[in-house]
Amino acid sequence: MFSETGTSSEILWQFRLPKAITCVLAGSALACGGLMMQTLFRNPMAGPDVLGLTSGSSLLVAILLLAGRYGSFITFVQSPWSVALAASLGGAMVFVIIISIAKYVRDNTALLIVGLMISAATSSVVSVLQFTSQADDLQTFMIWMLGSVGSTNWSELVVLTITISMGLGISMSMIKALNGMLLGDSYAQNLAINIKRARTWIVIATGMMVGVVTAFCGPIAFVGLAVPHLVRLIIPVSNHKILLPAVMLGGAILLLICDVIAQLPGSTQVLPLNAITSMIGAPVVIWMVIKAKRISV
Amino acid sequence: MSELDHIALQTLNLKIGYKKDDQVRVLFEPLSLTLTKGELVCFMGSNGIGKTTLIKTLAGIHPPISGSITRNFPAAIVLTDKVSGNLMTVRDLVTYGRYPYLNWWLTLTDQDHHLIETAIKKVHLESIANKHLSQLSDGQLQMAMIAKALAQDTNILLLDEPTAHLDLNNRVEIMNLLRSLARETGKTILVATHELDLALQTADKIWLATQHKKIVEGIPEDLVLDGTFDNEFQLKGFDLKTGKVKHTPYRKTLIQLEGSGPEFLWTKNALERNGYEVGPSKTQVTVTFKEGYPEYILSLSGAEVKFESLKDLLIRLKA
Repeated sequence: MFSETGTSSEILWQFRLPKAITCVLAGSALACGGLMMQTLFRNPMAGPDVLGLTSGSSLLVAILLLAGRYGSFITFVQSPWSVALAASLGGAMVFVIIISIAKYVRDNTALLIVGLMISAATSSVVSVLQFTSQADDLQTFMIWMLGSVGSTNWSELVVLTITISMGLGISMSMIKALNGMLLGDSYAQNLAINIKRARTWIVIATGMMVGVVTAFCGPIAFVGLAVPHLVRLIIPVSNHKILLPAVMLGGAILLLICDVIAQLPGSTQVLPLNAITSMIGAPVVIWMVIKAKRISV
Repeated sequence: MSELDHIALQTLNLKIGYKKDDQVRVLFEPLSLTLTKGELVCFMGSNGIGKTTLIKTLAGIHPPISGSITRNFPAAIVLTDKVSGNLMTVRDLVTYGRYPYLNWWLTLTDQDHHLIETAIKKVHLESIANKHLSQLSDGQLQMAMIAKALAQDTNILLLDEPTAHLDLNNRVEIMNLLRSLARETGKTILVATHELDLALQTADKIWLATQHKKIVEGIPEDLVLDGTFDNEFQLKGFDLKTGKVKHTPYRKTLIQLEGSGPEFLWTKNALERNGYEVGPSKTQVTVTFKEGYPEYILSLSGAEVKFESLKDLLIRLKA
């Protein structure tokens, strides 16, 4: 149907397919990260964007993009691997901060407020960086901030695929520990589950996945928070052996749908993905809270 | 078999408590305690004295400050910790008991399935095994937690307040279950509890945490008769030796009571609760039966009046 040199083939290979693959990868990574955070904190409102992981990634990417110009490591900065690494570190760092604060703050709501504060703090640092940077850098950054799954090229896609596959792999190897976390530390310990080690791996996996997605697609809100709840509405289980793969699939589907909407069928205009996920995600979460009266992990 | 073969768990000069920075809070004097095979031990003491900490330390999930614990078998625990995961079913929860034996993919063998179903049957939750935990009553949830510990298939069970917040019926059911488990399966069971009356009637042995940071060990009857409980609980108006609440005979009327069986005991209870003293007197109440129903005959200065209920008898007496 498509000849090697045809425009359709060009569009398919250079634009549509990378975009679809990015949606699948990003959706499953964010949703998987969201589910693991909800289980780890035993908090239904936890998610990569809510607790500031996305902001942490943004901060390090911003530092890399905006400050890189003044350094002598331009080639390093342009490698997708370095952006991925920076973003992952940023996400994991915030995760570690939240975990250490969570030891003192038992209250679910208080933890969310801490997450919001961390988001606010990192955003303000990013604003300062923007203020002191030049116009063309600023535009690059602003476009990135709005989030898009359409700008990934094949070399970035390789990084995304490798990193997210690793992240999802680590997550799947954690099902026993994740189930154990639902019972709390004491019971888990009595069942010979090493919670401490699992926590480290979950931080690494989530940081990596949320980091690379944020690095190449910009901050995407609500997918991590909403998908686990939507999936639990359809499949009412708590066992991560079923829940994890289901949530990965659900995230991929949701992000593909969001992207179709962002495409504005019949128009050449493309809306920012972040706006769409929030537009769908926010009402969904509100509807869930009202319908279920209380949502839980 | 030597004495040693019977020991399930033993502590030697065990100090338990909390270390925070440089401060050490020790909860008890060094403890040297022994749990033997097949015995049900009730661990009693007031709130906040350190029952939970001892249970967790014995289970190996809280570090001791010093001293040693010898566990000859693995131990399963039932704690008061809240479990999240409202979508978890009873069977899911019981399956957790098999986790120490499962691989990372949680592959269940026939043996695992068998132990899970056996544990569910043991606590009579078969009919609601697929219900979500959020749909259970407190008593059913506690039973499910016990089933989880049973599925762990350990020789030692350590339970922290398994009967807290339950009604009398559920409390008795749980204590009876533990009693029969100890007898039939030879499990060693340690239960931290406030339920003095239930503990006295079911435990083989009592560990009583005292205000002087000691744990006194003994069989229930000895501790009742030698006054250890009285000293410790400072019982206000409850006579442990008779198992009754103390009544003041404020009416200063002696009533002689004749009869037998539960009807006699409850008539005595009714009289004492209403301020009468039971003893030799000219006023006499006789408990008899008429066509299978109790009848109360009041003999007062030669005259006899019959009553069908204690309520009517009391109205007449007070008149």
